[in-house]
Amino acid sequence: MTALRFYGERPPGINGEELPGRLIVIEGTDGVGRTTHVTLLTEWLEARGYAVVNTGLRRSTLAGREIERAKRGNTLDHMTLNLFYATDFWDRMERQILPALRAGMVALVDRYIFSLMSRAVVRGMPRDWLENLFGFALVPDLVVYLDIDVPHLIPRVLASTGFDYWESGRDYLPGQDVFSSFVEYQSNLLAEFRRLAREHDFVTVDARGSIHEVFRQLCASIEPVLALMARG
Amino acid sequence: MVEPKPANGVLKQDSGRLFIVEGIDGSGKSTQLDLLRKWLVNLGYLVVFSEWNSSPIVRATTRRGKREHLLSPMSFSLIHAADFASRTSATILPALRAGAIVLADRYVYTAYARDAVRGVNRAWLRKLYSFAPPPSLAFYFDVPLEEAVRRILAGRPRIKYYEAGMDLGLGADSYESFQRFQGLIRAEYERLVPEFGLIRLDATQTLVDQQQQMRELVRPHLEGAMRAPDTNGDPRRVVGQMGHQLSERHVDVPR
Repeated sequence: MTALRFYGERPPGINGEELPGRLIVIEGTDGVGRTTHVTLLTEWLEARGYAVVNTGLRRSTLAGREIERAKRGNTLDHMTLNLFYATDFWDRMERQILPALRAGMVALVDRYIFSLMSRAVVRGMPRDWLENLFGFALVPDLVVYLDIDVPHLIPRVLASTGFDYWESGRDYLPGQDVFSSFVEYQSNLLAEFRRLAREHDFVTVDARGSIHEVFRQLCASIEPVLALMARG
Repeated sequence: MVEPKPANGVLKQDSGRLFIVEGIDGSGKSTQLDLLRKWLVNLGYLVVFSEWNSSPIVRATTRRGKREHLLSPMSFSLIHAADFASRTSATILPALRAGAIVLADRYVYTAYARDAVRGVNRAWLRKLYSFAPPPSLAFYFDVPLEEAVRRILAGRPRIKYYEAGMDLGLGADSYESFQRFQGLIRAEYERLVPEFGLIRLDATQTLVDQQQQMRELVRPHLEGAMRAPDTNGDPRRVVGQMGHQLSERHVDVPR
């Protein structure tokens, strides 16, 4: 059973004490391999008879589209963008995550409030304001943090999408040197992720290894959470 | 970027003035604010206006959420906070920093009242909106529920879903729901008046009486506020102020 516990006050309209499903969150910076592992884990869980729901940032009916649009146009200030992400997050909480947990499924979530908070803190938003805002989030059964360092991250990012505007912090860092911005931004971001990992007791997995090694560790950390859970 | 700061940390003493109006639907607050704006403009001040739920960036989301009834109490609250944050950083704060007069039709107190009625935690709301610059003066237009409902229903064939609080299941039809919802909001305002020192105006008085009281209270705050440039570069305005019209061939002057 997943206990219905929230980081802050329980939001209105949410009833009950326990849920038969499991909430498992994969956190980590962009390029660390989160999405790959979410895909692999979904197959692994389904092969073992669990029903799985995936969700990730910006996939809400309510606000997903507007965030994409706003990011393209770079028209939103940090505060508004955070509130948009919070709206998107809460909408997915209500429409995707909670119903899945009520139905006894595994909700496998690609990034949770911690990505949102890290990115905002690095951009100068106060932690206590963010902690209050995201207090509406359900406390997951497990948060796995895929940890990496900047030297290992660089080749992965270069091999896939390259240095993205937002993931290089170019929306707030001065100067035109994309590589320096990327290094500075990711260093700060990783420091904040690690701080959160300590504070909230995430299971940290060293993501510098091969996909196979990381996946094996992920499965090992998820296994105990699934114990006693009914399969489909 | 807008930094959430303690309410009194944002504005310097010597910068802009922020006057806001609050009240339930049908309290007449928008009419009074409009009259105040006209007076200030006539006195030569530069006046910036901002209205609840009007940010162009957030509008598409709010509209779809309302049309499709997608909004739960929390998402309703969050999307309105996004609207307010966007207007604060793009309009309200820069104008205040520049030293202008800003008029706001509804402010954070609207969220405190409405969202609390929808069950949102009051302390959470106050922290959420802690980035809002504190108003120089906040007027609460106090009107009996029956009078407000009468005014609203007189001119309206239909009350909208969220406006009537239909999402709360307060009544069988939108009229019954609207009345109960406005009653609950009014009760929340009664808490907010002492908590935030809102200035209570009796909204059953004549329009002229209310406006006079507003102006008397606003007047002492105007010393040194930013003045509007003479003409805004538009010859029609100058001519208008002089009391006669431009001849036909000058009417297409580019603004």
